[in-house]
Amino acid sequence: MPTVLVIEDDEVTAREIVAELSVHGMTAEWIPDGRKGLDRATAQPFDLITLDRMLPGMDGIDVVAELRRLQIDTPVLMISALSDVDDRVRGLRAGGDDYLTKPFAPDEMAARAEVLLRRRVPQNDTRLRVADLELDLVRHIAYRAGQPLTLQPTEYRLLECLMRHCGQVLTRMMIFEAVWGFHFDPGTNVIDVHIGRLRRKIDGAGQPPLIRTVRGTGYMIVGSAQNTTASP
Amino acid sequence: MTRPNAWRSATTRLIAIYGALFAVWGLVLVGVIQWETTRYLNTVIDQMLVQRMHYLVTTDMQRLPGAVDAAATIDPHGIMSVGLFDAGGQALAGNINKLPADLPPDDQVRLLARGMPRPDRDAGTVRARALATRLADGRVLVIAKDTSTIDGLGAIVWRALLWAISLTIIPGLLGGFLLRRGPEKRIRALQEASEPIRQGDLSKRLPMSGRGDELDVLAGIVNTMLSEIERLMSEVKGVCDNIAHDLRTPLTRLRARLYRAQQQLDGHPEAALVESSITDIDAVLGRFRALLRVSELEDSHRSACFDEVDLGDVLRQVHDFYAPVAEDRGQPFELDIQAMDRARGDAHLLFEALANLVGNAIKFTPNGGTVRLKARMDSRGPRIDILDSGPGIPADERDAVTRRFYRGDNSRTTPGSGLGLSIVSAIVRLHGFALDIGDSAYGARITLYCYSVKPGEVPGTCLSRTMPETREEARAVGEPART
Repeated sequence: MPTVLVIEDDEVTAREIVAELSVHGMTAEWIPDGRKGLDRATAQPFDLITLDRMLPGMDGIDVVAELRRLQIDTPVLMISALSDVDDRVRGLRAGGDDYLTKPFAPDEMAARAEVLLRRRVPQNDTRLRVADLELDLVRHIAYRAGQPLTLQPTEYRLLECLMRHCGQVLTRMMIFEAVWGFHFDPGTNVIDVHIGRLRRKIDGAGQPPLIRTVRGTGYMIVGSAQNTTASP
Repeated sequence: MTRPNAWRSATTRLIAIYGALFAVWGLVLVGVIQWETTRYLNTVIDQMLVQRMHYLVTTDMQRLPGAVDAAATIDPHGIMSVGLFDAGGQALAGNINKLPADLPPDDQVRLLARGMPRPDRDAGTVRARALATRLADGRVLVIAKDTSTIDGLGAIVWRALLWAISLTIIPGLLGGFLLRRGPEKRIRALQEASEPIRQGDLSKRLPMSGRGDELDVLAGIVNTMLSEIERLMSEVKGVCDNIAHDLRTPLTRLRARLYRAQQQLDGHPEAALVESSITDIDAVLGRFRALLRVSELEDSHRSACFDEVDLGDVLRQVHDFYAPVAEDRGQPFELDIQAMDRARGDAHLLFEALANLVGNAIKFTPNGGTVRLKARMDSRGPRIDILDSGPGIPADERDAVTRRFYRGDNSRTTPGSGLGLSIVSAIVRLHGFALDIGDSAYGARITLYCYSVKPGEVPGTCLSRTMPETREEARAVGEPART
């Protein structure tokens, strides 16, 4: 069970984070102070740290910078009310791995936490597999049940993003950030359209659907045998 | 920016009025001097004439012709002419050959309006003052003195006046020109400083010289007004932003509770009701997010992320992002990029602006219509046209659509926050670019000028060279007509 250190001074927010992470099978420990949080993070290895920007004792930016200086590479999800692009850039440059602005949807926070945990797994494979779906990362070709699929470059990147985070919920925003590399809310159903096209290409007639819509959150790809809370 | 007209400037007008008053006053002054001098000299001449007449009429009448001739002889130039005529007007003695017609013998000194023939010349007359008297025996004695001395003096006075005016007006004009430059320079500085204010940057102020003159007083008044307008705008915007900011937290918590309820109700009929509630809350949160995004962009003066941006790349990404949506709506989505200079900006923000514009074009174009992205250089830099065969934005709404929450008649029934063009406008302003909303034979048109364009320069200037304006032109360049 992954362990998460939650450094957050607002008790209500901290309770939300801890509860949501617990729902997603993580063990969370809450520290309300920046200095104490840094001490805790250096005293014991955690799989993930969620870190508020503005904290008593020590600022979140300083905490993450100190962690990186001490060569502690635990993934850090920065959570802050400061939503300006400059603030996000500063947080990421200081050593944060992802940045979420308050107020946030708990399911999106959990999805981002899962993605960061997944990044710790070495990704040296040249092939990704989900059920009978395969992605040849060298030749940039996807196969379903051994049959090659004709994918546009964008569809290929979208599929790779989903398969690299197999079993994890990705919000539309996360997909947009990962595939197109931009950080704003496109505010439309464009991601749904792209997923729909990809879905039509990989889920052929008679084949079990692999891409699932997670109502109210986003999408995930799962092997047919996996149990999820998603609906097709 | 309009340059001040040198001939209409207040300083020029003041100098001209002052110069004219000075000239009139000089004329009056010199006129009075001349009039007084002339009057005095005339009086002196008149007295001389009266005295000489008195001398002659009191001499022996028999010897009068001789005395007259003697007087004429000792004055060969006729400065003081004298003539004796019989009752019939025939000259008897002296150097006046003809009795002046306009000189009655009434002992009154008169100015001979027609002049008097000069005794020392063959032709010509000379202005003169003359006196005639009828003697007891009927003869007429005339004494005249030319007024050349007085006239000469008058000419000297007028010449002096002309010199005085010339020597005053020329340095005056030169000085005036130099004096005009100072205020004109300051007016130009005020004009330049007011340009960003005119474009909406209420944080700017007009410069003050510190001299406390009229321009400083005026600039101070305008600056005070600007401060008040900025404060009021900030308060209004602050209230708006605070509402959006403060409501996000409870709405997000409400959404989280609904999300949990949805997870628990999975498979129950009530789940659909919860899901539609989440969709509505997401829409509200999306509007708040967009509203705060506009504020964030408007408040931002950063250019740290600015770099040389390949607009072609950004457009290809936008095209790639929206192509499936257009395809689903049966809309040909064309991309036409020509070689262009790079633009200085933030690629992420430019993508966001273009994505908003293209998203709108696709949304408002009926299924089966056409959307086209064109990018090329015009005479001053890169420009991007987003063309669609949709209804476009009516001319009277084009200024309003960039305002927050404005929904035009065409967009009231379509989903959206009414903030997309506000975000675009904020990004465009942040870059110092310009946005122009218009139409062409193709349909609707939105042009992004990726360089600095002053307001008022935008419409039409380079449009006709690149964009067809009639259906025939559109067909000639192979563009689809409006559907």
